[in-house]
Amino acid sequence: MKTNSYKIDWNVIDKYMPELLKGLSITLEISAVGMALALIFGLMMAVGRLSTNKFVSRISNAAVQLCRSIPLFVLLFWVYYGLSLKFNILLTEFQAGALALGITGGAYMAEVFRGGLLAVSVGQTEAGLAIGLNKGQVFRGVVLPQALRVVIPPTVNVYVGLLKGATIVSVIGVSDMIYVAQYVSLDTFTPFELYTVAGLIFVCLTLSISGFAYLLERRLGRSRAHG
Amino acid sequence: MVSAEPFFDFTSVWSSMGILLKGFGLAMFCATAAIIIAIILGLIVALMRLSSVKAIKTFAFIYTQLFRGIPLYVLVIWVYFGLAIAVGINMPAIMAGVVTLGLLNSGYLAETFRSGITAIDRGQVEAGMALGLSKREVTRTIVLPQAFRIIIPPLGNQYVDAIKDTAILSIVGVPELMRETQQLADLHYRPFEFYTFAGFLYLLAVLTVSRGIAILEKKLSAHSAQTPVNTAS
Repeated sequence: MKTNSYKIDWNVIDKYMPELLKGLSITLEISAVGMALALIFGLMMAVGRLSTNKFVSRISNAAVQLCRSIPLFVLLFWVYYGLSLKFNILLTEFQAGALALGITGGAYMAEVFRGGLLAVSVGQTEAGLAIGLNKGQVFRGVVLPQALRVVIPPTVNVYVGLLKGATIVSVIGVSDMIYVAQYVSLDTFTPFELYTVAGLIFVCLTLSISGFAYLLERRLGRSRAHG
Repeated sequence: MVSAEPFFDFTSVWSSMGILLKGFGLAMFCATAAIIIAIILGLIVALMRLSSVKAIKTFAFIYTQLFRGIPLYVLVIWVYFGLAIAVGINMPAIMAGVVTLGLLNSGYLAETFRSGITAIDRGQVEAGMALGLSKREVTRTIVLPQAFRIIIPPLGNQYVDAIKDTAILSIVGVPELMRETQQLADLHYRPFEFYTFAGFLYLLAVLTVSRGIAILEKKLSAHSAQTPVNTAS
């Protein structure tokens, strides 16, 4: 087989598109669950880092550093094979994947939340209280809208990162799009076509979400200039 | 015999230290080689994006968007298993890994370089031209040295990301740290210990590089504060 006998055959894509899209929906699902966990972990770590208790803020700081420094790929194996085996926690592939995504994303979200909370000056809260609003009203009507404006665009970017990260979960056996592509190409021997299409689908997906984040950022930025 | 085993047992990790450190060295090599490729390609693409020729500009735009949008895992599989088979080239895994990682990072670095270059005041370029320097001389001696100072922190972050991303190269069989760890974890049936230790090595590398960048950044900003050019205007 010295000559290149590979014949590109795009028909295979037509045939297996439903399977690929089913895999894509699993990628979207796992990244969504991962993001939900990331929001929870992130908020906890951000509040911890801003705590006046030195011990709490140090621990939170270290946790953020740790979660950001360890590659998602390593974390995934550590959670799925290491942690679950050692402590007898039975995690499905999906749960382990979502947890690893949540840990990594949480560290990034902690930074985003911290930035958002710090961006609203104390004077705003004081002014709100001074004109007779109660604490809940100040948070809902004054602090939150301004913090959200700062937080939303980078949050979307973190999600894009998680979505790209979520492609590796097939290594522990989650049947996402790449897993489907690998599985089908074993049968049809058309890896080039399948991976090309899978790659293009991902590029379209991440670029459209990033584009959305960019528009959002511009829009929110503009409304701030007006108000 | 099973019950006599300690809960955490790192002895197999210590005895495999040679292999693990070799894998770690290869991971660092891959990250470094990839970043060097990315710097070269990124600089070219950044300059192309600033070109006045529309076709060149558009090509550079598509290049950055494409490589920033595609996940490394997908691209490395596409290059190693897809492209190689379709075109019939037998690329060694390390080469495929380094090239892929380099291409991906070049997309990000092109954007970093572009923002660094556009951050330089136009007046600087005009002043250089007025002094009789050619366009190329102005770019080389005035714009790039200043842009360099701006791009050091994001460049450092990119290097950190590249180090973390090398773990994914294990998927095509590059015998780097993660690949060796996986094999040793299976062999000794000590996944928790081996993956924990691998995580520790990555952590060490990332923290060392981040600290180095922070020091470099401080030095450069101290230098810029002393430069009278920046305090004028």
